[in-house]
Amino acid sequence: MGVKEIRIVRSGGYVVHVDICVEVSMECVKEVHKLYYATKKELSGFVEEVVPGVSSLAVYYDPRLTSSEQIESKIRDLWLWARNIELKDLYRPRKFTIPAAYGGDFGPDLQSVAGWAKLTEEEVVRIHTSRAYTVITLGFTPGFVYLGEVDPVIAAPRLETPRVRIPRGSVGIAGRMTGIYGLESPGGWRLIGRTPLTMFDPKKDPPIPISPGDQVEFKAIKPEEFDRLVGVFVGDYTA
Amino acid sequence: MTTQRSLQVVLAAGFTTVQDLGRKGFRSLGVPVSGALDRLSAVYANALVGNEPASPVIEVIGSLAVKFGVDTVVAVAGGYPRVFLNDVEVRPWNPIYCSRGSVLRVVPSGVGYVHYIAVSGGVVCDKVLGSASTYVRGGMGCLGRTLKYGDVLEIGLTDVVDVWGRVSDLKPPQQLVEIHSSIGKDALTLRATEGIHSSLLSDVDVLLRGEYVVSAESDRMGYRLEGESLGSAKGLGRLPSTPTDRGYVQVPPDGKPIVLMSDAQTTGGYAVALHVVPPDVDLLAQLSPGRRVRFKLVSIEEAEQEVRRYLDELEKPRLIREELEYWG
Repeated sequence: MGVKEIRIVRSGGYVVHVDICVEVSMECVKEVHKLYYATKKELSGFVEEVVPGVSSLAVYYDPRLTSSEQIESKIRDLWLWARNIELKDLYRPRKFTIPAAYGGDFGPDLQSVAGWAKLTEEEVVRIHTSRAYTVITLGFTPGFVYLGEVDPVIAAPRLETPRVRIPRGSVGIAGRMTGIYGLESPGGWRLIGRTPLTMFDPKKDPPIPISPGDQVEFKAIKPEEFDRLVGVFVGDYTA
Repeated sequence: MTTQRSLQVVLAAGFTTVQDLGRKGFRSLGVPVSGALDRLSAVYANALVGNEPASPVIEVIGSLAVKFGVDTVVAVAGGYPRVFLNDVEVRPWNPIYCSRGSVLRVVPSGVGYVHYIAVSGGVVCDKVLGSASTYVRGGMGCLGRTLKYGDVLEIGLTDVVDVWGRVSDLKPPQQLVEIHSSIGKDALTLRATEGIHSSLLSDVDVLLRGEYVVSAESDRMGYRLEGESLGSAKGLGRLPSTPTDRGYVQVPPDGKPIVLMSDAQTTGGYAVALHVVPPDVDLLAQLSPGRRVRFKLVSIEEAEQEVRRYLDELEKPRLIREELEYWG
């Protein structure tokens, strides 16, 4: 689905919300990233924060310094401009490799994903580790990374009943998205593995080096290697 | 307990944390802003003891008693709880001189829900990403958890005699104290703009018609409301995750609205029907489960005006000298 028009909604007296598309697609995600980096670059110092969603973004502003009309008109200009350039002109995406142990206690839902896909667990792991994913956004909880797009063959839907507690580092699948839980939290994604890396460390600057538009690949590791890598910060790891 | 610059928790029942005005600038990493549920009350508590508006304060939901290891000045603001200094009842919304070894006790009175204890010099706590606000789900800020019996918190350095001289006759605006001392009696009107998904919810008017009751399943992340549900939310199901913020009125498929509060997740997949303006989120925070609210739609221009006034007041609370009140 092509992205033609953005929809801007002003909200609460301090938020300008921009919907970039209705249906989520990687094409739309790319447009979100372009507008995100363009807005961040052009409006920083002038707005409080720019936050991307999966198909939208929000600009938080101080109405004493600017108005929603002003921000809206700037975003419309940026949109027209950003449409005709490439993401790499605004942001140089980085590549990350995330080691993960799959199945068993590390990924209690690997079996159900394999069952859903009518594949063996090994095949699911092979498919999951065989492509680089684009970082769609970070959100939900500190350091939760949304990645896409998962091979439709293993794109099992989320659990009917979310888990109350998911260990940090867990790698999950929810339809065409895969993701990493930065901290322990509740959640409904199907857990297929877990990374030993520390994905989010508030003492680091930045606490997580991964940004929207970056590329993430998974690498299957054995439980022994998992133990060896526990606590290594994601920004310090090299495959 | 020692003669250190510290206070010790001698009773804790409920959900009590250290908060400031929140952790801004990290939403795009998924980090909630957190901070005081009722920011204006936290700021006034600070102002009444001569602190900077954003100094860390103790947010009490429930009961708390603390013993001071040093002479200090404190103030309790937010709602209208019962406050005791060494078992003698004292007034909230007022500076209180506490001698070393004295015990300050805050007990719910049924008027208001979250109460702030500011201590002159501020509570000195571990800051995470620039803020001492405790985000319990992420284990971040200050102790990373609720306060419990025996906890000791450091108090920032101040000259207490000098502070007392400057603040002892300070009072917050009478109107603010009046609002807080009767909050929850009648249904609270929450001014709100349309939300980012108002146009997707065909029956959004339902929210503007009736009264809603604050549910017992409310917490620092969101206040759930009971009342007429929105049928149109059911068909929407899960939307692509969009950025969310404090004051967003989310409507999950069950049609029951949730007003997001300070620990709100940074993105969410539920339809957002309305956006409550920030000063009214502060007041909503003061409603205990069972209290009633209604929504009133306001324009963006009106909301911007309210936000300007609110941000000015957070930065510069409007205190008055006691003798001035007779000048009308």
